[in-house]
Amino acid sequence: MKEGFRQAMAWLHTWAGLIFGWLLFAIFLTGTLAYFKDEISHWMQPEVQAHALDDARSLTVAQTYLERVAPTAARWFITLPDSRDAGLSVMWQDKIDPGKRGNFITKTLDPVSGEAVQARESMGGEFFYRFHYQLQMPYPWGRWLTTIAAMVMFVALITGIITHKKIFKDFFTFRPRKGQRSWLDGHNAVGVLVLPFHLMITYSSLVIFMSMVMPAPILASYGNDTRGFFNDVFPATNNAPVLGQPGKLLPLVPMYEQARAHWAGGHVGRVAVNNPSDVNASVNVFRAGSDRVVHDFGSTVSFNGSTGELLRVSAEQSLPAAIGGSFYGLHMGHFAGPVLRWLYFICGLAGTAMIGTGLVIWLGKRQLKHAKTGVMPFELRLVEVLNIASMSGLMLAIAGFFWANRLLPVSFAERSDWEVQIFFIAWGLSLLHAMLRRGRQGWVEQLSLGALLFAAIPLLNALTTSSHLGVSLVTGDWAMAGFDLTCLASGVFLGWAAWKMHRRSVPQPKAERARGLTLKPEAH
Amino acid sequence: MLLALLMCYAGFTALCLSTDRHHGELLHSKPSPRRRVGLRVLGWLLLSVSIWPAVSLAGWAQGLVEWCAVLMLSALLLVLLLPYRPRLALILAGVGLLASPVAAFATL
Repeated sequence: MKEGFRQAMAWLHTWAGLIFGWLLFAIFLTGTLAYFKDEISHWMQPEVQAHALDDARSLTVAQTYLERVAPTAARWFITLPDSRDAGLSVMWQDKIDPGKRGNFITKTLDPVSGEAVQARESMGGEFFYRFHYQLQMPYPWGRWLTTIAAMVMFVALITGIITHKKIFKDFFTFRPRKGQRSWLDGHNAVGVLVLPFHLMITYSSLVIFMSMVMPAPILASYGNDTRGFFNDVFPATNNAPVLGQPGKLLPLVPMYEQARAHWAGGHVGRVAVNNPSDVNASVNVFRAGSDRVVHDFGSTVSFNGSTGELLRVSAEQSLPAAIGGSFYGLHMGHFAGPVLRWLYFICGLAGTAMIGTGLVIWLGKRQLKHAKTGVMPFELRLVEVLNIASMSGLMLAIAGFFWANRLLPVSFAERSDWEVQIFFIAWGLSLLHAMLRRGRQGWVEQLSLGALLFAAIPLLNALTTSSHLGVSLVTGDWAMAGFDLTCLASGVFLGWAAWKMHRRSVPQPKAERARGLTLKPEAH
Repeated sequence: MLLALLMCYAGFTALCLSTDRHHGELLHSKPSPRRRVGLRVLGWLLLSVSIWPAVSLAGWAQGLVEWCAVLMLSALLLVLLLPYRPRLALILAGVGLLASPVAAFATL
């Protein structure tokens, strides 16, 4: 009975992991990159200069700019620069047609001169962040698909734990250079050793979308008035309506200071102004997410914009909100400093590696049966092509995205969209290539190209901008230097992987091959 | 975070040495029952005590997150080092143990 149960779990682990593995690999890798979203954006928009942080100056500069450029907007959002994101970003929603929701316009300002920075158009790290949960699909389909993938991931984790017979006995075991055995060891090692992260990240992703996945409690208490639910949970979205009389907005800096005093010196993330030119203008000051592990969406202090009167201070989080907020905070890692951020990044890579090794094992085990005949059935060939395209192909797509950022002319029309298109074109081409080439050659060629593209990124950066490693290391621009060095390291890693693959594709001596075949994997 | 890392790494190394298989691989002998128990107690002790420097420096919320991260990373590092550089893996644990009082003195 017990063995039967374990076998059933192994079956579920195998098939759930295979069907969603390709998608999960992409979700994990882009999500891992999103931990360095701001740093990637900094590399992709080198025109945005970093200055010493001075919130009062930034806020004054932003207010002056918005009063000049967008006095009649429905809403302003001012996001203050921080140690990771040097740009002062302002966004406003225009109010041309009162019946419709206005368009959002975003500009990055220089926090000292107050002028809009003429930076190249690029989504930067935001692309990876959005792709991670929206998959470049129209709302809400991408979110649904990632959520379903997260549920499957959770199932795969639980069934994986049940299937793995000797978690504690094999805890420290990794035996390289032993073919299938090594892949399984590696899969188990990154799975078990980083298990707390895997469980946290998967479960929290379900918590983040809980109002979408399980709306029943909201519908039961609020009926069709879901707006009422969000007004209760996020009081800052429930603001005074427009009166239609022109008013004068007071300086924002004193409100900023009052808000900080309420949070005992906590930091301000952004400031939102509703109806800035109306007598009923309201100002919401939002606390920065980097202050605490437990994320508090509603942590705001609200003011009347034309009298400066304090309207509302958000209440302390209730226990359920704190639990939800802590999952959100842990998933996003806004609070993480440089060292912890790198640890998050490594954990994310471990998760990606776990999924990748799982896909390789699935195919490797079944390939063994056909090793003698040398002919692979269609379904195995399909898995092989998808493995290559989803793993090495995605690396090529990411490299293509970065190369496009440097090679597309700054004045190119719809430049930012083209960067994204090149990402998908590169991915599509890698799929085509994987279909045309035989398995191992496909791997070797794509990995080698990826190695070349990534390793050359510091050089490309040096040739196209004035912020190459010689400058960034000297001036202490660690985000810029870190990006170049990480790309170099990725290039070296891909090159090593390509070399390993190539060496293995050279026919092995007969005795060694026979021994490889007799190694029967224990689990699954 | 450094002190917690050193302690976690040494703790995992002790737990690893308390198994017959890894003791044999690393030290080419079978551990005596007393040594096995001693290593196991030392390992668990180091792992559990390492919470304290993490939490005392960064508070409960951030400290626990850091401790978890360091726990996972040190185990991963040890497991990746073992097959390739077994001596280095042991030396690191020894150096870590020796350096941890210094780290404790410097940070706490």
